[in-house]
Amino acid sequence: MSSATPDGIALRPRRQINFQALGIYIAAIVLFIVLGLLNPNFLTAGNLRDVAVSASVNAIIGIGLTFVIITGGIDLSVGAIASFVGIVSATLMVNGGIPPAMGLIAGIILGIVCGAVNGLLITKLRLPPFIATLGTMSVFQGCAYVATNGKPVYDVPKEFVLLLNSYVVGIPVVVIVVAVVAVGAGLLLRKTVFGQNVIAVGGSEETAWLSGVRVHRVKIAVYCLAGGLSALGGLVIVARINAAQPDAGSPYQLTAIAAAVIGGANLMGGEGRIAGTLVGAVILGALTNGLVLLNVPSFYEQIVTGLVVLIAVSLDQGSKGWPMLKRSNKKDLTAAPPTASTSAVRS
Amino acid sequence: MAEHLLVVRDIAKSFPGVRALDGVSFTLERGEIRTLAGENGAGKSTLLGILGGALRPDRGSITIDGVRRMEYTSRRALAEGVRIAQQEPAIVPQLSVEQNLLLGLTRQQRKASAADIDRALKDVAQMGFPMDARTPVSRLSPAQRHALTIARAFAFGAKIVALDEPTTSMLEHNVAEVLSRVREIAHGRGVGVIYVSHKMPEVMSVSDTVVVLRDGKPAFDRPITETSSDDIVRRMVGRELLSFERQHPVDPAAPVHFEASGVSHPTSSAPLSISVKKGEVVGIAGLVGSGRTEFLRSIIRADEGSRATVSIAGKPVKIRSPRDSRTAGIAFIPEDRKAQGLVLQTPAYANVALTADGQLNGFGPFISKKKQIAMAEAMGKRMSLRPANVSLNARQFSGGNQQKLVIAKWIWLGATVYLFDEPTKGVDVGGKVEIYELIDQLASEGNAVIVVSSDLPEIISISDRVLVMRAGEFVSEHTGTDINEHSIVTNAMGVSSESPQNEAAPAASATSPDRIDPADTGADAFGAAKGTS
Repeated sequence: MSSATPDGIALRPRRQINFQALGIYIAAIVLFIVLGLLNPNFLTAGNLRDVAVSASVNAIIGIGLTFVIITGGIDLSVGAIASFVGIVSATLMVNGGIPPAMGLIAGIILGIVCGAVNGLLITKLRLPPFIATLGTMSVFQGCAYVATNGKPVYDVPKEFVLLLNSYVVGIPVVVIVVAVVAVGAGLLLRKTVFGQNVIAVGGSEETAWLSGVRVHRVKIAVYCLAGGLSALGGLVIVARINAAQPDAGSPYQLTAIAAAVIGGANLMGGEGRIAGTLVGAVILGALTNGLVLLNVPSFYEQIVTGLVVLIAVSLDQGSKGWPMLKRSNKKDLTAAPPTASTSAVRS
Repeated sequence: MAEHLLVVRDIAKSFPGVRALDGVSFTLERGEIRTLAGENGAGKSTLLGILGGALRPDRGSITIDGVRRMEYTSRRALAEGVRIAQQEPAIVPQLSVEQNLLLGLTRQQRKASAADIDRALKDVAQMGFPMDARTPVSRLSPAQRHALTIARAFAFGAKIVALDEPTTSMLEHNVAEVLSRVREIAHGRGVGVIYVSHKMPEVMSVSDTVVVLRDGKPAFDRPITETSSDDIVRRMVGRELLSFERQHPVDPAAPVHFEASGVSHPTSSAPLSISVKKGEVVGIAGLVGSGRTEFLRSIIRADEGSRATVSIAGKPVKIRSPRDSRTAGIAFIPEDRKAQGLVLQTPAYANVALTADGQLNGFGPFISKKKQIAMAEAMGKRMSLRPANVSLNARQFSGGNQQKLVIAKWIWLGATVYLFDEPTKGVDVGGKVEIYELIDQLASEGNAVIVVSSDLPEIISISDRVLVMRAGEFVSEHTGTDINEHSIVTNAMGVSSESPQNEAAPAASATSPDRIDPADTGADAFGAAKGTS
């Protein structure tokens, strides 16, 4: 091994990583071209703007979720947080008369608090993330119903709607919000000690802990982040439909996970990309929009979404080698080849 | 004349960036025990992967019983009676011994398996690990699990068995029993055995023939009687192996740098204390399971319920978590570097920077990749990291170089206390010497070093002082010529050195048959490999 030149070794893994990341972009472009060919209306500026707006909630929630998934966790409560925050903020603004900006901030704080509850359950009580957030999903959703007795809150202040659902030089505000969130999240993940610690915790929690990383603090922080961004997503929904529905966030629960997973986030932890999640959300948005344009009954949308997730994940696995089809799995088994794969011999 | 049991011809296999095997050929006969020797990265694991059918070679052929196997899959390998016993026992802790033995068999094989199970259980018993078929494997010790793995490999129509470091977690006297049983089974049942180990005494005692791999090619192929362990090691590394000698033994007048008292772990019996001078290397010897790892982990408070009162350079420091111990400048280099020391799928430089808190930041709160890489490269240069490219993922380095990365993350941070747990486990001979040099260097710079190790020659050659731990307590302290295999082993095992004729004594003598001096340990003039000059 030492005989190989370091540079010769370095180039190949880099190229592979790029290929893997590129796959999702190529898929998105192909999808856009195909939908455009099937229905020319798809590629009009107006419709693309609709796609962007409809992808925005998924993108915002999915980005928060990406951090959670990179630590090796999962948050099933994001949709419920979005619903809960939407109802509470809308009530505060409509019945409490607080100004829209305050309503927005209060909502995001509530989302962060919900995330903190998740984080504390997972770290201090050591509940598995799946169980902890399965429980809080139900609790937060219940709170959303209890808050208004299950009734929607209508007539949200116009200023609030304008805050999140208007246009700046022809660009929807939500798209700008998504862009800001994505850039901020990307910097946080790739360019800060916190981000490196998130990746380390997901890659090997024990290593991170023994290296002096405050693992609990990192985990609580990512659930707070997911909660805060879910809240923002919930508020965007309120602004878009001009009302708060107590279950408005629930459709986003699984599609946000889907966006992150399509974008390459690995549920085993240690891997995930903000840009990938963004593209994942756009793919899902484009599909929904395209199916409507093609007059496909809306029930098929869920089937298609599910298939896209399955295809995306198996392609990602495939790029790492299908163990069932290929003998040699796992690409970067170089220095110390395979303890894991040879153990298959015994089974 | 009958055909060879196994003929491996001109096997080559490349992974991205690395040529793991480059034309390996050898033969294996029925009843032959053939050692596959080589440094880490020489291609042994890859070769076993190919034999097990888990990896497909780029070229070359495998011929079993005279039949050349074209579509050689893991299923085919199993059907041909090829069994690979992994270094990490591939067994399911939740299942019983019997269920583990049956794992992966077809329904018909299971029905016909009663005799095989009895035989496997008899084998483990004769290896010195009697166990009940119904015992859940989770209750077995690591050594028992290894024995079970070995016995399973030989059961159910095995014709070719590969054993990869099968004795890792075993005591020396168990090793002797296991090896003699392996020889009996192989010769008695005509099973061909491919034996992989770094431990030369084992290799010399168990094998009939040896093939040495170097850089993916067979470098040497001889009957064991026509070679020596020195010869084999020399062929492995391709140069003369120098035994290690400390360059900077501790100055006896040096002040105490690190002190820990009341060190206790939820699983340990009594609180312990230790003090280490500036520049001193203290070795902690003892059997696996004697509580040495727990002792180190308690110092940095890695586990809940552990306690320790620590002072550095005479000043008490409050430590409640590994975070605090990092701040205090205490480095912990854990035993399992893949799971505890590194984040394998991230670049080497990010692993080195894992202990950073902002020291390697550029503008404001943002890290500087450039600074991280520069720091990792500087560390790599100091430790002659190979390959020197720190942008490679940690996974892509060999064992010894991975260990350097783990150590590097503490050195740049300026840690002054280094706690090593089995620093050279799974590291090849050349890499070991490099790590010893590094430890010596760390000590010479005025740091305090504690090394837990099960490798006796290692602990003897790098320590200024050795503490022996038995059942969670320090039972003896050794300095100078008292640092020798005999006195360490007798204390570690609780064998009285005055009565070498009693039953327990052969256990100790199995480790170093020539060096045992039945006279009292104080007069032991052998000093073993102690090289303080």
